[in-house]
Amino acid sequence: MKENVSLFWIDWRLARRMTVLQSSGRFALLFVMACAFLLLLLSLGASRYIASNYIITALLKESVSDEEAIGLARQISALSPVRHAEYLDSAASWKEFIRAYPGVESISSIEGNPLPGYIEIRMRHDQFTQANIRTVTSALKPLEQVDKVLAGEEFLREAFKVKRVLGAFFLGGFALFVALFFAICRLQERIRCAALAGDFEFMRGRGVTQKRIACSRAAGAAVLGGLLAVAAVCIAALFLNLLVGKYPLLANVVGPQEELFSALTTTAAGVFVLVAAVLFAGASLLGWAPLRPAGDQ
Amino acid sequence: MIEALRLGIVFCEATLWDGLDFAFEDGSATVIVGPPSCGKTLLLSILRGERKPDAGDVLVSGRSLYSTDRSAVTDLRAVSGFVPERFEADGKLTVNNLFTRSSMVCHEIDSTEQKDRWERLLAMVGLTRKKDARLSTLSSSERVRAALAAELLRSPKVLFMDSAVMMAGTPYTGMMGNLLRVLAGAGNIVLAAERKLPQGWEKFASQRKPKGPFFEYRLPPIVTEGESD
Repeated sequence: MKENVSLFWIDWRLARRMTVLQSSGRFALLFVMACAFLLLLLSLGASRYIASNYIITALLKESVSDEEAIGLARQISALSPVRHAEYLDSAASWKEFIRAYPGVESISSIEGNPLPGYIEIRMRHDQFTQANIRTVTSALKPLEQVDKVLAGEEFLREAFKVKRVLGAFFLGGFALFVALFFAICRLQERIRCAALAGDFEFMRGRGVTQKRIACSRAAGAAVLGGLLAVAAVCIAALFLNLLVGKYPLLANVVGPQEELFSALTTTAAGVFVLVAAVLFAGASLLGWAPLRPAGDQ
Repeated sequence: MIEALRLGIVFCEATLWDGLDFAFEDGSATVIVGPPSCGKTLLLSILRGERKPDAGDVLVSGRSLYSTDRSAVTDLRAVSGFVPERFEADGKLTVNNLFTRSSMVCHEIDSTEQKDRWERLLAMVGLTRKKDARLSTLSSSERVRAALAAELLRSPKVLFMDSAVMMAGTPYTGMMGNLLRVLAGAGNIVLAAERKLPQGWEKFASQRKPKGPFFEYRLPPIVTEGESD
């Protein structure tokens, strides 16, 4: 007979106003957390930004034809750590040069175009490691078409140091935010438990065990947490999508819009929802103040 | 059936009472009468499984309330209601909140029937116009009647009442007497503790042999063909 009784939404039924207020606060925090989570996931700390500004340049020998160079660029693109490899012929190379150093056009008129063609290689942000850079440069150096490989070793050391520090900073900040969120949830649960103490005592006196009340509340909290997290992560994704659309420069940090809705992001969002549900349930259980430690289950 | 066997209580190193036997059969309404501070509330607590006696045991349908297995207590609580002598309420709790609270543990009755029953119960205890009132604004009598209505919503098989008739006041004594008898007539166990037998009840109550400081009265059940509420 007792099994017929549903205590799943007990808080909603007994303290609706407080539950709504507290859930609204949690949703706002979850939204911020979802934004931070997506930013962290898509940018991998500072990886994407640094990787998007890092280029390996393979200078080609003068004897290499355009067709051969394009084929070579295609081969390099096939390497897994490489996001994109593009061949620029000597004319394009010269244009780049005079754009960087205006006023040197006269050299060309005297000596012709002194610059060779080259292949510009950009790394994938999620495989932007020193080992992968070494793999790419090692693959390039033995090629007979390649004259010289410029990988910016000096810049790399600093870049990876910055990447590590920023990565740790962002990850630590996120972890701190999650811990703070959990503490707030737990505090809210304690406040709600105190407000509902009379109701819980009433139920205990009518054969509903504390264990059952606590488990029912935790299950309800998990479902609520999951639903709020789904809403938060969807709105956060749309929000970021809107921002990237409006400010394309942001794509350097979070990547192109389509990556926001990739399988990887969706899977990660699923994990985020699960973790939120677990956090809600955990806060509910930890915030549950036993009414009477002895004499009841 | 609830049986109390050789109950004893030691209070402030003195024996308050000892060797008390009670038997409350299904379909009986009993009033335990005793002077102030004789242990009426304590006796009800023991019979409800809330407080272990210093001696003796309580059996509900043959199962001990005070064995290591506490499931008998949980089962008794699931089918019982309790109207306390003092009903402390926080400032925001309303009469309707009592309904919500009680309906959370209300077995086998759908929500429409619950609301309908709540309206009828409030009318019976004279609180129809007070359903949105905060309990803190109600008199002691109104609070007890609201608590009684909340308990009756669940149709408890066992109803414990601690000085509820006295707290409800003289205008409700007759109604309460009939109510307890009707509940007993429907096969429930009703157990009320009072300082003295309520006025007018002596006409139908039959006194039993005194037990310790307590006088035990039995109310004859009223069997109705309609609903027990």
